[in-house]
Amino acid sequence: MSITGKTLEPELNTPIAVASMTGPRREQREKRESEDSTERVNRLEVVVRYALYIVITLFLFVPFVMTVLSSFKTSAEVIAFPPTILPSVWHPENYLNVLTQISGFPRMVFNSFFVTLMVVALNLFFDSLVGYAFARLEFPFKNTLFAVMIATMVIPGFVFIVPRYILLLNAHIVDTYFAFAVLYFLQPAYILLMTQFFKSIPRDLEEAAIVDGLGWFGIFWKIILPLARPALLATGILTFAGMWNNFLDWIIYMQSPTMQNIQLGLVSFRGQYQNQWNLIMAGSVLAILPILIVYVAGQRYFVRGIATTGMK
Amino acid sequence: MAVSVAPKAPAATAKVNRRSKGGGMAIAQRRAGLLFVTPYILFFLILQLAAFVFAIWVSFHHYDLLALDNPFVGLRNYARLTVNQDFLIAMRNTTEYAVVVVILQTIFALLLAVLLDSKIKGRNFFRSTWYTPSIASSVVISMIFLYVYHPTGLLNSILGLVGIHTTEAYLQSTTWALPAIMFLNIWTTAPTFMLMFLAALQDIPREIYEASAVDGASAVRKLFSITIPLLRPIIFLVVSLGIIGAFQIFDQAFIMTKGGPLKATLTVALLIYQNLFQDTGFVGVACAEAIVLGIIIFALTLISRRVIDTKIEY
Repeated sequence: MSITGKTLEPELNTPIAVASMTGPRREQREKRESEDSTERVNRLEVVVRYALYIVITLFLFVPFVMTVLSSFKTSAEVIAFPPTILPSVWHPENYLNVLTQISGFPRMVFNSFFVTLMVVALNLFFDSLVGYAFARLEFPFKNTLFAVMIATMVIPGFVFIVPRYILLLNAHIVDTYFAFAVLYFLQPAYILLMTQFFKSIPRDLEEAAIVDGLGWFGIFWKIILPLARPALLATGILTFAGMWNNFLDWIIYMQSPTMQNIQLGLVSFRGQYQNQWNLIMAGSVLAILPILIVYVAGQRYFVRGIATTGMK
Repeated sequence: MAVSVAPKAPAATAKVNRRSKGGGMAIAQRRAGLLFVTPYILFFLILQLAAFVFAIWVSFHHYDLLALDNPFVGLRNYARLTVNQDFLIAMRNTTEYAVVVVILQTIFALLLAVLLDSKIKGRNFFRSTWYTPSIASSVVISMIFLYVYHPTGLLNSILGLVGIHTTEAYLQSTTWALPAIMFLNIWTTAPTFMLMFLAALQDIPREIYEASAVDGASAVRKLFSITIPLLRPIIFLVVSLGIIGAFQIFDQAFIMTKGGPLKATLTVALLIYQNLFQDTGFVGVACAEAIVLGIIIFALTLISRRVIDTKIEY
């Protein structure tokens, strides 16, 4: 849900923010010669501030560091008391053991990638197509439909679970990849994101294309989409994150062991081997790796997308 | 879906072309518009409207996934909820969970955003690392916290360092299991809302702060008399999204505790899942539960709008 009334800007850091980051510090350096009392207070404040930032960073980041380190330990060492920080002996073979000991692991990785990429492709096309119509075209019931879309975004997903399950069951697409195509071929939050983006593009280009006799789909496909790269990246990256991390839909709509994704696979593995802490940790690292790569590579689109839609 | 729709589109374009050359620009645009939103109309009619109506229909029936005949039972499924111990326990747990999580994660997210919205070196580094808990899946986070909460896991190791020696098994404790899940969800969700707050903070004109600095306002004073009032719309948004998410807590309770120990972490969403897949003949009850949950979330969202709109005056 969520309309923050923002358009998607490709740059996160405004020039003002960047400038204000360097300004006061330079001043501080210049003043260092004169060790007056206000200077000492400022310095103390800086030290306290940084201490706070570091504490928060440790609080939010240490569990991940320990997870990565644990994935190289023996399972006994992971939960040893007194604890160790670094593995006493590094066991990179834990990662190989994940592949061999979690039955069907390669299939789970394939399922995760296949469904995620399929849903991303569908959303890139449909979210932008519908978003373009809402942003630019005049047609009957447009405003009503748009209002309906915004209003229904706040309906909690659990209301739909039972009827959708029965619907898909009767259509015989439970336990198939097609279930995800049906449920997620478009997502209103990203239609909204695309709509807001298209509204920010100047109309001149389209007007020229209309004169040239390019049809509406041609305008959308050849002129508008190439300009929509930032919004498409945000939609694609956020959809990737949502689908890669999805657990609930897989546990509801997928039932056979070959139709598990990596998340569900980790849960079943942990259910069978509670004490294989090192493999659980290695599996977790593998499950987070693709999303981490996507996040690092597309950080600014990710950040802007969340700020705009509030969706993850 | 993509395969079936994509090839049709060029044909439609051709038709639109002919029309627009004939001077029927407006008609062509109406046709193109309706054609382009058709995927959404289908989504709305089938996956939202029909599904919603069907959910209500099922909630008035004794429904079994395998039965051929599902008799009408009126409001009995709803009446049952008021005396069903599991539902009452789940409702209490979920409410307790949601109240604590929504309040604390909103405050924590705002604090993180305010800290990041300042002139500090390494700001991008802090933002990236602080956001990490939000990119991991619920499953990975659950696995990490199974280790954190283990009797000899990370939490008790850290407590040991500061002189508190305990081997408490948090997830096996009726006292600690629910707070443990609350904590991990605050930890993962706050960074997402931090980004929303941060974007809103960056839109506040610097001059407002500069003017108040001249007036000699303290940092705390600035936060409460400038920042928070100006952030009111985004606070409402974060609280609404928080309510919608928190009342549907499922993954972590399912993975870490299965609702235990002694139903201490049984949530409404978990109960709906159990009624749907584990108990036969409870599908109608599951639907009734989901609808009650939906109504509660809707009502609380409206109330929070009222509270946030009226409480803070400029």
